[in-house]
Amino acid sequence: MKTCKEFCEQLSDYLDGEIGERECRLIEDHLEVCQPCALLFESLKLTVKICEQGISDEVPPEVRSRLKDFLRKHCKGYQM
Amino acid sequence: MDDQETIDKVISGDFDAFERLVEKYEGRVYRHLRKMVNDKELAEDLLQETFLSAYKGLKGFEGNSSFSTWLFRIATNAALMYLRKNRPEIVEYDDQIGNKEDGAIRGTSPAFVSTPFDILLSLEGKNKIEEAIDGLPVIYRSVIVLRDVEGFSLEEVAGIMNISVAAVKSRLHRARNAVREALGSYYEEKGASAARRASK
Repeated sequence: MKTCKEFCEQLSDYLDGEIGERECRLIEDHLEVCQPCALLFESLKLTVKICEQGISDEVPPEVRSRLKDFLRKHCKGYQM
Repeated sequence: MDDQETIDKVISGDFDAFERLVEKYEGRVYRHLRKMVNDKELAEDLLQETFLSAYKGLKGFEGNSSFSTWLFRIATNAALMYLRKNRPEIVEYDDQIGNKEDGAIRGTSPAFVSTPFDILLSLEGKNKIEEAIDGLPVIYRSVIVLRDVEGFSLEEVAGIMNISVAAVKSRLHRARNAVREALGSYYEEKGASAARRASK
């Protein structure tokens, strides 16, 4: 019988679809009956979801402009 | 137009095509570098270096991986080379997560999971996510950013970082749990403060 710690060690792989079918069923059965592990799993899912959406990929205009100037200066004379 | 068509144009001498590639990827590459080195000025220097190296090496791009994977490998190598040269301690020895004595995974307070999504993604919430990721050692930070922020597959992350898929999974597990714990503590404390204020 697996411990909660052992189940929790698998949750990240489970989220990534990296766990076999039989092991998935064991995890799902455990999450149904173990509230602390179910809460931990919910919070792990939420963490991944907000990482996906919470970090801006905005480039400040001055950084973008300096990049453009830099590349024009250094690439244009380069013989590919 | 897909990336390969654009690349072919660049190789045939069309510099505007290269600028289109830069515009397409500069945001994601800058975000990745900013997270890797935790320093905006340095991230900007590495951004310039990355695209210059990409331009010079574009002829050698064979299409065995996607262009984005190839580009992120250049960016990651540039950042790691800089860090190894100038701050080796944070690349080689800073592993407070992996070395955590009991290796225990801490539970979560219900306050985090019951916080509305729009609050989690408010300006304050986003700052907390950035803070939680920035608090990780670079070997964990880079993996969680590539996988969960940039959306690369485990195999692609392994290729970009030049490590095994097993190492990616292990680092990802630790990184996600460390970020989860940091956010959990923050929202638990925030909930407790709100409850204290309400009871006065």
